[in-house]
Amino acid sequence: MGAEVAQVTSLSPRQDGGSVLPGEDVLPVLPALRDLLPAGGLQRGSVVAAGHWSMLCLALAAGASSAGAWCAVAGLPQLGVAAAADAGLDPARLLLIAEPGAIWPQVVASLLDGCEIVLLCPPDRPSAQVRRKLEATIRRHGGVLVVAGDWDGAQTRLLIARQEWAGMGDGHGRLRARRVQVVADGRGAWSRPRARWLWLPAPDGSVAAVAEGVAGEMPVRTAEGDSDWARGTAEADGSWQRANAG
Amino acid sequence: MKAGGSAPRRVLVVWCPDWPEAAEDQEAGPGARAFEQVVSAVEAFCPRVEVIRPGVCAIGAAGPARYFGGEESLAGKLTGAIGGLGLACQTGIADGLFAAQLAAQARRPGAVVAPGGGAAFLAPQPVTALGSPELADLLPRLGITTLGEFAALPVAEAANQFGTEGVRAHRLARGLDPRPLAPRPPSADLSVSLEFDPPAEQSEPVAFAAKTLADQMHSRLAASGLACVRVQVQAVCEDGREITRLWRHDGLLSALAVAERVRWQLDGWRTGQRGRGEGGRGERGRGEGDQGDLGRAGGITLLRLTPDQLVRDVGRQLGLWGDAVISDRVARAAIRVQAMLGHGAVLCPVLAGGRSPAEQVALVPFGDAGTPLLPAGRLPAGRLPAGRPWPGKIPAPAPATVYPVPLSARVTDDSGATVTVTGRAQVSGRPARLWLWPSAAGGRSLAVTSWAGPWPVTERWWDPATSRRRARFQFVTEDEDAWLAVVQDGRWLIEASYD
Repeated sequence: MGAEVAQVTSLSPRQDGGSVLPGEDVLPVLPALRDLLPAGGLQRGSVVAAGHWSMLCLALAAGASSAGAWCAVAGLPQLGVAAAADAGLDPARLLLIAEPGAIWPQVVASLLDGCEIVLLCPPDRPSAQVRRKLEATIRRHGGVLVVAGDWDGAQTRLLIARQEWAGMGDGHGRLRARRVQVVADGRGAWSRPRARWLWLPAPDGSVAAVAEGVAGEMPVRTAEGDSDWARGTAEADGSWQRANAG
Repeated sequence: MKAGGSAPRRVLVVWCPDWPEAAEDQEAGPGARAFEQVVSAVEAFCPRVEVIRPGVCAIGAAGPARYFGGEESLAGKLTGAIGGLGLACQTGIADGLFAAQLAAQARRPGAVVAPGGGAAFLAPQPVTALGSPELADLLPRLGITTLGEFAALPVAEAANQFGTEGVRAHRLARGLDPRPLAPRPPSADLSVSLEFDPPAEQSEPVAFAAKTLADQMHSRLAASGLACVRVQVQAVCEDGREITRLWRHDGLLSALAVAERVRWQLDGWRTGQRGRGEGGRGERGRGEGDQGDLGRAGGITLLRLTPDQLVRDVGRQLGLWGDAVISDRVARAAIRVQAMLGHGAVLCPVLAGGRSPAEQVALVPFGDAGTPLLPAGRLPAGRLPAGRPWPGKIPAPAPATVYPVPLSARVTDDSGATVTVTGRAQVSGRPARLWLWPSAAGGRSLAVTSWAGPWPVTERWWDPATSRRRARFQFVTEDEDAWLAVVQDGRWLIEASYD
């Protein structure tokens, strides 16, 4: 199933019209996230709060990025670019501003001028005035602000309610995939919370929906990755032996 | 003044003996204009030409000499080219402008003074060559007739007896440069300007005109095969005030981008004016209504764009990554943020090779095509290639959080002892608790619910300076968070977490 999702993801950019993302009202998201968002995507000019920094933030930006949008990341020096790339973000259209400092509202406003999506972890809690000013900027430029944290005026809120890791036992195996329950609520017609189970990440690092009925079963087992890991460590130094054959 | 000073660069001087020696203030006269054709001919060999005075000009010889097959050959070709204009000239090549000038005026045309031979060449020259009537009069009366004798005086004595002029002359006599070569722009009329009549009250029409001017400037530069490192934007107000600002160009800016910078410059200046005029009223949002009212400062009467620091155009850099062309809009946003936070604050990731998550990404400041910065303190120069097998690298899925500085940690077994890994990759006990930021007082600890490892890696065992032997573990803790930990020499670090 993971492979199917990956195919769908790779096909979607062409349907969405290449690199410019013409003036549509909604930026595309990964298929797995469509049900969670009003209008099935990121509403231009809106703020999405993702609770705290997690792979969910990357997943939210991935759909638009793979469709050609530029994504700026402010205040997140710890962002794992490899994970972002696996989730579907294009590293070639990524700007990283690790330390926006005290003038982060101005920095974000400037970034919104050029980038469709700005992923922000606010260094401090913005005052209502700063917040309203930024929201006006977002609406003017038609961008989307994804906040790794809380944002009072956010149109949509997503939260990882539950998570469980698969693939590892007591001294054997390795981390393979994480099943998370994402709960979304928002304002107006979208105020009824809805929850979905997602693979975040799936074994190949991508984002996929957990199929109904087979909940708990991992989409694909990649035996190849496992053997590579074991072989690699063996080659790295022959004098070391794996204590835990797993 | 630099004491001693490094050896001057190789300089080639073209001297046209037929030209009348003119005083400095006549430089812009008819003589200078006629000399322009000689300078243009020299420019064909090297675009950075310094006109010493009408009749004498100089170029840095090192580069052109390499290109034209040696200094002798360069001198020959230059003489030939100027001879083709029907003008007689002599050339001289030496270390530094002074020696080169004397070499050019020497009896033997095309003289080349070998590198390092400047002082020896100068020693027998008469002191009149220093070009200072005072010294030429004074020194022979003191019994000093040649530059060699003058150079033999201690510097302090020369300074005492003859002042700053004496020090300058003394440096010349020793074969040192009194000042570095300052190339004049290849052609002064590369700058473009436009007058506004009536004066432009709004910044909008000025920015619009700037686009046309920038187009003109670019086509002129392109016609001479040049690019500019910086562009100087000069706006003159009705009341005579000037707003001048240098913008980095690097031959990369489009006409539209130059126009945008003109708008920023005017807007920035206007904001400053308003702030001063109204006692620092809070900055108003850049609403559509108040765009570009230049108001009481008086309108703009003249706009001039001057290319600065001309370099040979080696082609336009398009995208940094493959075919991706960075759109003007994104570049503008990135440059604005760089203007606020500094050049290195806006980074672009480039996937690189490596085993640990931090090594797999290199960060390059936006706009730089150079070698990416290696993640903190990695030793090998240059980026390690991606797409090669990296045995022992972390398997997918990749961690979403890679700590720029690994978190210090401690892993204990059921008995509370720190877990260690032996040389034969044996774990000393079952990891039971993960301590984050451990201290004497304890720190935060989480129960380990599942774990895997150790995965030993010995990196760069062939190089004692950078080799390291470490073992990696993955942990899932009671709150279902997953961690990538590494133990090296008994010290635990959290490299990444799977948030």
